[in-house]
Amino acid sequence: MLDIKNYWVIEIAGVEVWITESIFNTWIIMAILITIAIIARIKLRNFKEIPTGFQNLIEAGVELFDDIVTGAMGNKLSYVAPWFFMVFVFVFSSSLFSAFGLRAPTADFATTFALSMVTFLMMIFMGLRHRKGKFLKSLFEPNFVFFPINLIGELAKPVSLSFRLFGNVLSGTIILTLWYALTPRIFQIGIPAAFHAFFDAVIGFLQTYIFVIISLMYIKEAADG
Amino acid sequence: MEQGLATIISAAQIGAAIALFNGAFTTFGQAKIVAQAIESMARQPEATDDIRSTMFIGIALAETSGIYGLLVAIIMLFANPLVSIYINFVS
Repeated sequence: MLDIKNYWVIEIAGVEVWITESIFNTWIIMAILITIAIIARIKLRNFKEIPTGFQNLIEAGVELFDDIVTGAMGNKLSYVAPWFFMVFVFVFSSSLFSAFGLRAPTADFATTFALSMVTFLMMIFMGLRHRKGKFLKSLFEPNFVFFPINLIGELAKPVSLSFRLFGNVLSGTIILTLWYALTPRIFQIGIPAAFHAFFDAVIGFLQTYIFVIISLMYIKEAADG
Repeated sequence: MEQGLATIISAAQIGAAIALFNGAFTTFGQAKIVAQAIESMARQPEATDDIRSTMFIGIALAETSGIYGLLVAIIMLFANPLVSIYINFVS
């Protein structure tokens, strides 16, 4: 239930690399998303000034997300929108992925921790880029005695960000696994659909939105002060 | 050996139950956030969209402690480190 299955062990330069279920599922999602992106690129080759049909759909999606980012961060910092669009699509599609009875990659702490570490590095990088010395000085506010507390506060951000997404997805996975394991066969037809709709679609969308919005808030806090 | 293991496992189960109990307080805090948000939506219907997005962020931040409790309970139940420590200690 909680164990992540291990498919293959590859040795690269003497180091064992475990290809686990979550890595494999990540590859499947990546393949699907890359295929969709390539199809969209080919379809948008004859770019029109006045959008119709398919182009309209894509533009509406991108514009909606741009509005969210601009509303959360302001015009100056909204150039991070493409990365967070990717995060949004990846995390949401991996939540939907568990609706097919497979394990979502975000139910593995490594995936969510990697995503939140990127947010953490972006926080540091953009703080140094936009505020330079003031960003480092903000760690010593209001007094240099508070440096350890501020440091722990900064380090807690990626941890809480990753635990929130991981815990929510994992709790849905556990509840569904319990349902599949403990109920008789008759109750496994139709009824899990409601669970999947709630835990994978609703909670998945909400947590994805919250992950992106809180990442944006952290970055704006670091970059704008 | 068996009795000690049983004691450790039962203590871990009780610990997991206590860790999950903080869900009560988390839910209480979330209910307070939503109640206040609905109140301000009723007072200012034109600001509904802003209030709603802020409310979701607040709910998510309040949920963090509940998630921590859940993770502690999961570790206690499924990946208990104490059992292996005890087995190593005995053997």
